[in-house]
Amino acid sequence: MTRSKYSKFAECVHRHAPPTGLLVCSLVLPGAAGAFEVGPGIQVHGFLTQGYFNTTDNRVYGDSQDGSFDFREVGINASYRASPSVTLAGQLLSRLAGDLDDGSPTIDYALVDWNLVETSDYAFGTMFGRIKNTLGFYNDTRDVAFTRPSIVLPQQVYFDNVRNLLLSADGIKAYGRFYNDWGSVSIDAAAGIANVDENVEISFMGMDFGGTLDADDLAFVARAEYESPGGAWRAAISGAKAKLAFSRAPTDPVGNGQIDFLYWIASLQYNAERWSLTAEYMEEPAEFTNFGPLLDGQDSTPQGYYLQGSYLIRNDLEWTVRYTEGFFDKDDRDGSRNAAATGGLVPAHNFFRKDWTVGLRWDVTPNFMLRAEYQWVDGTWSLSRRENPNPAATVKDWEMFSLLGSYRF
Amino acid sequence: MRRLLPVVACLLSAWSAAPVAEEVLISHPSVAAGEMSLNTTRLMFSMQLRQWPDGLPVQVFVLPDNSQVHRAFAKDRLSLYPRQLRRVWDRQLYSGTGQVPETVDSEQQMRDRVASTPGSVGYLSSEMIDDTVKVLEIR
Repeated sequence: MTRSKYSKFAECVHRHAPPTGLLVCSLVLPGAAGAFEVGPGIQVHGFLTQGYFNTTDNRVYGDSQDGSFDFREVGINASYRASPSVTLAGQLLSRLAGDLDDGSPTIDYALVDWNLVETSDYAFGTMFGRIKNTLGFYNDTRDVAFTRPSIVLPQQVYFDNVRNLLLSADGIKAYGRFYNDWGSVSIDAAAGIANVDENVEISFMGMDFGGTLDADDLAFVARAEYESPGGAWRAAISGAKAKLAFSRAPTDPVGNGQIDFLYWIASLQYNAERWSLTAEYMEEPAEFTNFGPLLDGQDSTPQGYYLQGSYLIRNDLEWTVRYTEGFFDKDDRDGSRNAAATGGLVPAHNFFRKDWTVGLRWDVTPNFMLRAEYQWVDGTWSLSRRENPNPAATVKDWEMFSLLGSYRF
Repeated sequence: MRRLLPVVACLLSAWSAAPVAEEVLISHPSVAAGEMSLNTTRLMFSMQLRQWPDGLPVQVFVLPDNSQVHRAFAKDRLSLYPRQLRRVWDRQLYSGTGQVPETVDSEQQMRDRVASTPGSVGYLSSEMIDDTVKVLEIR
């Protein structure tokens, strides 16, 4: 973006109250969209997303039964190419998501990318810092609405409850890319310290105990991805292995236990000019030890998968249909055994979720997008326990209507 | 009717010979290469090959996603759908693993920026080509 255009844009944003100013100005000054050119090798970009959720029952991102606007994602990133082989990059993110996230800014990533070799046959490099975890097709950009296949990611595969745990890790990563006539292969392998918060604790342990749950030892994340020439076919297998340790408070009814888990996703996509099909399959075997009788019986393998089809009606208008299923325990798909284990306190429908989603995406301009979606849901697994503290009060069959607007520069 | 046939044939051949705007790969005049492989061109436009063999950084210029010239260049010259380019750029940008091309507003601006930026690549419809930029063949 040229300087004069930038000042026109800044003036415009200044006149209106943010964040609406950003949206208004991006629409009235279409040419203003584009990177801010700060200096040679420096790029600055950002995005602003506002969502609206309305559910017939159950809470999703705030008091959605009355209609909730408590969903906002704001990000700004900068990258600097310090030399042909060294790039620095960082992103600040503020996420408001009902009772799950209060919008305080966090460092989404902050890294140094050192590219050892880069040719048209292969590339190798390494990264240090806070690195996004490459899991499935969407985890590493899950908070950027433009990159998502729907308003929110399919929850049975990309649980929102444990997003912080799986989002990024502070550590080191090595990568390799291989380009051939038959397509390209990318390999990523990372080791680092995972980020554990209260949402993670509540999700794994059922409630927020007095003690704290923390990362124990390094987490490992890896992905291998194949893409056919031109990108028609994409296939990937990815996984994260991590260990969490709980230090109990004196009043806690559980011991100093550990949770070992593996989270893996197999992904497949076919892209034609006007339509695409995407399928992903996830399992997350978790093992609880040394907690005592209250939690050690919690071992289970959550499972989730979906099939999504998208069709471009016009170049700027896309229809989407998706069917998704997910289970707290793949060996107890109707939830009856887990419900019985709680003595009926937690109804069986809390242990599975099956839903149909239909959605429409309209790219008003290349930098401004609107989305509308409707979802029919059977079951409440993957709903936040924090937002729905009483499992017996959740409703098994429910529906959700959502809207989203997103601007980027 | 028989007399009309040559006229129709003539019209048809004139139609097919009419200058059809075709999108061509361009670079700064100092770029040494005269041609590039499809693979190399794709890697440059997807920001995964960021250096010329002599070490000069590659600067990529593109038109907006909804521009006809952009769509045609991506599809006909790179054999990629514009959506796929966008997906690759977005993933790199928002995960901090790469940079994105610089978007220019018009073909005029594309020509000016490529002509004045050493190491740059871009594209233009053939009638916009002049001697300020170099045309590269895609093999």
